[in-house]
Amino acid sequence: MKQTEMLAMILAGGRGSRLHDLTNKVAKPAVAYGGKYRIVDFPLSNCANSGIDVVGVLTQYESVLLNSYVAKGGLWGLDTKDSGVFVLTPREKADSGLEVFRGTADAISQNIDFIDSYNPEYLLVLSGDHIYKMNYDKMLDCHKEKDAAATIAVMPVPIEEASRFGIMITDDDDNIIDFEEKPANPRSTLASMGIYIFSWPRLRELLVADMDDPNSDHDFGKNIIPTLLNAGDKLVAFKFEGYWKDVGTIDSLWEANMDLLDENCELNLDDPTWKIYTEDSAGLLGLPAYIGPNADIDRAYITQGCRVDGKVKNSVIFTGATVGTGAQVIDSVLMPGVVVGDGAVVTRALVADNVKIAADAVIGSADSKEILLQAQDV
Amino acid sequence: MAKAFGIVTSSPEHKVDGMQDYRPIGAFSFLGRFRVIDFPISNFSNSGINNIQVYITKKPRSLVAHIGTGRHYNINSKRGRIQIIVPNEELVNSIYNTNINALFSNIDYIRRQTKDYVVIAPSCMVFAQNYDELLQEHVKSGADITLLYHKVFDAREGYSTCNALTLDGDKVTSVTPNLGDEDNKDMFMESYVMKKDLLLDLMFAARETSSVYTLANIVNAKCGELDVRAVEHHGFFAPITSLETYYKANEALIDIDESATLFTSDWPIYTRTSDSCPTQFYDEAEVKNSLISNGCEVHGTVEDSVIGRGVVIGKGAVVKGCIVLAYAEIGENVVIQNQVVDKYAKIVHENKILAEPGSVGYIKHSDTL
Repeated sequence: MKQTEMLAMILAGGRGSRLHDLTNKVAKPAVAYGGKYRIVDFPLSNCANSGIDVVGVLTQYESVLLNSYVAKGGLWGLDTKDSGVFVLTPREKADSGLEVFRGTADAISQNIDFIDSYNPEYLLVLSGDHIYKMNYDKMLDCHKEKDAAATIAVMPVPIEEASRFGIMITDDDDNIIDFEEKPANPRSTLASMGIYIFSWPRLRELLVADMDDPNSDHDFGKNIIPTLLNAGDKLVAFKFEGYWKDVGTIDSLWEANMDLLDENCELNLDDPTWKIYTEDSAGLLGLPAYIGPNADIDRAYITQGCRVDGKVKNSVIFTGATVGTGAQVIDSVLMPGVVVGDGAVVTRALVADNVKIAADAVIGSADSKEILLQAQDV
Repeated sequence: MAKAFGIVTSSPEHKVDGMQDYRPIGAFSFLGRFRVIDFPISNFSNSGINNIQVYITKKPRSLVAHIGTGRHYNINSKRGRIQIIVPNEELVNSIYNTNINALFSNIDYIRRQTKDYVVIAPSCMVFAQNYDELLQEHVKSGADITLLYHKVFDAREGYSTCNALTLDGDKVTSVTPNLGDEDNKDMFMESYVMKKDLLLDLMFAARETSSVYTLANIVNAKCGELDVRAVEHHGFFAPITSLETYYKANEALIDIDESATLFTSDWPIYTRTSDSCPTQFYDEAEVKNSLISNGCEVHGTVEDSVIGRGVVIGKGAVVKGCIVLAYAEIGENVVIQNQVVDKYAKIVHENKILAEPGSVGYIKHSDTL
């Protein structure tokens, strides 16, 4: 078998409970974004575009939809003879019982056998719920050049926000000399993006030890990275500049969608050299976006399979959504299959998948502090 | 799985000015996100016919790229396949470019098929049809050949290279060129169901009669001898046999009620994805009664038009009654009306291109105006 230089493992087990009803039945990585995508399309497309052939996706919470979605490796071109996307869920093992993933590191530890079967030199660990475009191959070049045990992608954040992140303190050569998880008084503004490259033999050693440590949270940030630092391993920060978003809340998910309305949005989904791949769906009939005779569109991001015959302003309309005649959708996000009835008015709202808004109903308001999440029919 | 294999013919007798210089009709972009050949192949796939031969007589590149392995048509890669068949020999004269000669040049592939029946469909007509139902009707009726037709009421315009059927009840008495002499005709949809062995017999019989006979010619000649029957098709039907019919078919389907007669949720039309992002509509965009594909940037006015993938419509531009194919650019303040704008064309200097009412203009592939 051809050796796999670097294998990617995507951590996609989190619930994303601050997304409330959106993630009641769907894990956060499977949440829809940007008209036609799901969040997990970003790390998967980044892997494919970076030349990574084998990707394991670690799922746990409400993962039926997520599992069946990521199993279609062909969507991202990861279905050639030597490539694949593999869904890895907690399983009963011969030498231990059925155990859930106890933490991010444990999710990897429980799949050491899977990783070993590819015998990779490097392991890329990613989060399944971040929106960004990144070339992991460049990060690997940096890892090799610096001969690091671990390379961690970081990005500068405003100092007032630094206490929400894991913060890396580096020397002049980008070596990580210290690490603080959500510090009250941050000593640096370099936030960890939750993207790690490890030299696999070294990480493997640490994971085996970590599994049996009763005091460990089995977490990369809390346990594995500090252990590497204390042991004197070389840890390097890989600086990323560009669009990166962890959409943890309804407001931030709404905002990340609104970002796409900006002509100069750094994410640029229209880049032919770094496409984000996803399931090609065009709603029930499979048509391009149908803009009706009564439509009035003013700054909008609209995908195929939509039907719009009302007013759409400053809004993102997802696959197969319908805006009825005389309806108004303002500063809002309509997720796949949403129907806004004739004459209804939707303002500053994020309407969840397949929700139906009856004719002439009014939801949301222009001066609300928070974005309204509409997850039930009205 | 149906008891038939499928053949998509290349229909060399139809000529579409301009667009066909670059690709066969099957490869024409249709309604923004499809190509014409997506219809026959999706019809086969949805009918459980997953051994499909696609005949291409000229300029195969774009069709080969579009069809690929056929996976996007749900053709199982282990138990079914799409074979793309291109002619083996150069033709000394284009009159020899008939579907019979194309079938002959690959006769071994037909002989090797293990299914008893064959369904033949055209690559240049847009319609939805369940061929498995047609096959079952064919078997039940005991006919030798079953043909599909559509009742049209405007046969004087647009069907000039098509054949019409003459019927006696459900029996076909002739298959002859539509001369445009009457409004009402039973237009032949170039779809046949018969046994594989009969197809082989007809191929030899055609060749014995004339080297330039088509399949329709030989079926016409055999109408007395064989039991040839017809089944009427209902729903949307558009032959893409001229620039005018191409334009008309696209425009007709902008109407959402009309398109609901072609596109239904239980009969998906598959196509190859281009992974374009959604379309961005900017502040000044004014769009009405149009179909807009993904990956476009719309700054101007669009009305009664079909816009393909990745098209840019500049500020102040006005696009009315146009079919704009993928990656074309309509520059700032350019006004175009009743045009088919081919792929990668750029209209940036010429600021008004209007066709006479009732006629259609054509802007060439990759041209800059």
